[in-house]
Amino acid sequence: MNMPRFRIPILAVGFALLAASACETLQKGVGAIDAQSAKVQSVAKVAKQIRSTFADISEEEEYYIGRAVAANILTRYDVYNNEGLNLYLNAVGAAVAAYSDRPETYAGYHVLVLDTDEVNALAAPSGFIFLTRGLLKRCKDEDTLADILAHEIGHVCAKHGLQSIRKSRLTDAFKLLGEQAAQKYGPQELAQLTGVFENVLGDIAEKLIERGYDRKYEYEADELAAEFAARMRYDGGGLLDFLGTMAKDSTGSSDKGWFKTHPGPQDRIGRVKGQVKTFMREKVRTDRFRAAFRGLK
Amino acid sequence: MRKPIRPAAVAVFWAACAVLLLAETVVVKIQSTVLRKEPKFYAQTLVNLRSGEKLEKLASQQGWLQVRTAAGAVGWVHESAVDTKSFNLLAMDKSMKTQASASEVALAAKGFNKQVEESYRAKHGNLSFVWVDRMLNIKVPAAELEKFLKAGRLAEFGGAR
Repeated sequence: MNMPRFRIPILAVGFALLAASACETLQKGVGAIDAQSAKVQSVAKVAKQIRSTFADISEEEEYYIGRAVAANILTRYDVYNNEGLNLYLNAVGAAVAAYSDRPETYAGYHVLVLDTDEVNALAAPSGFIFLTRGLLKRCKDEDTLADILAHEIGHVCAKHGLQSIRKSRLTDAFKLLGEQAAQKYGPQELAQLTGVFENVLGDIAEKLIERGYDRKYEYEADELAAEFAARMRYDGGGLLDFLGTMAKDSTGSSDKGWFKTHPGPQDRIGRVKGQVKTFMREKVRTDRFRAAFRGLK
Repeated sequence: MRKPIRPAAVAVFWAACAVLLLAETVVVKIQSTVLRKEPKFYAQTLVNLRSGEKLEKLASQQGWLQVRTAAGAVGWVHESAVDTKSFNLLAMDKSMKTQASASEVALAAKGFNKQVEESYRAKHGNLSFVWVDRMLNIKVPAAELEKFLKAGRLAEFGGAR
């Protein structure tokens, strides 16, 4: 058999396959060609046509929104500065986040305690989570704490903060953002964008701090909390215990914090009860919880 | 006399070329993450990855992607850290016969960024970002996370129902 006579057809077929692959590669945009300037310009040109909903907000944008929402929360409350407690809360938060639907955000999940007797828990976009001292005092063990953190992480996973932004704001924002491909904004664009940014923050703060998320978002966060807790093998019954405690709380009549921004605890218990999975609350967890909470005012 | 080329070897060569060209690329969409030896958050770190870094996707497994870096390191990243979504620019702009990832669209369009935050802060002098930055510095290293899970008998180290 004379092998060399196969060379030309084989090479020709090969080149054809390679050319076809290359065309497909270009069409799929798999990154074989780096982001050349023409492409960047073109992408910028069409960006405003593409981005239309909260889901199109990038991780980095969500992070800057979350930072500013967090700063607004921190103007209303002092921080309870307890390093040991903070480390413990962040370990529980990191563990729950790792088994959530969205383990990684732009700069990760972080938990901080607010120094107030008011009962409240707030989750700003991108993973800035705040628990009040008043809420922590109503937690009796790590499983309950983890379930509450799982609820807050659920809000971040489902982007409930970003969903609170009015559609008209997003339309304004994306219109402005899509027109700019520059690394730095000029003074006029920056002033316009800052205005839109303020409005976006206003929408989120109104829901998160003032009025509370829509009930459907709270129910969804409860469902997610039950699911994340089960993945962790934390006892989902901790959430029911906490809600039960809140139902009996004598401060429940006050129109403040958690009571103002969340649906009634009995209503929530009724809805999530069937989805909660129970696990043994290991003594080792309760012991380390007590050690971290020792001295909590 | 020249040595003949084996058809099988040529086929393998072209198949390898096609695989390389058709490989799917994902882009790191968060500030930073790490390439892990195993698909677990507490697994050993192989290399650090930065926002915008392109990775070749090799396989996927329960929310984790096995990827190869440009330098050739192979490991795992969680899918929440990378962008796999792509937009068809062809449908919107006839001049560009390609697609772009969501990250590329966001980067090209810019958006709410450090410059916008600085402008916002200049307008609202009463706002302090000191504790925002401090809370960002509270981190739980992978080894600590593993220790915490093991000691607490959680997740795969977990106890009975």
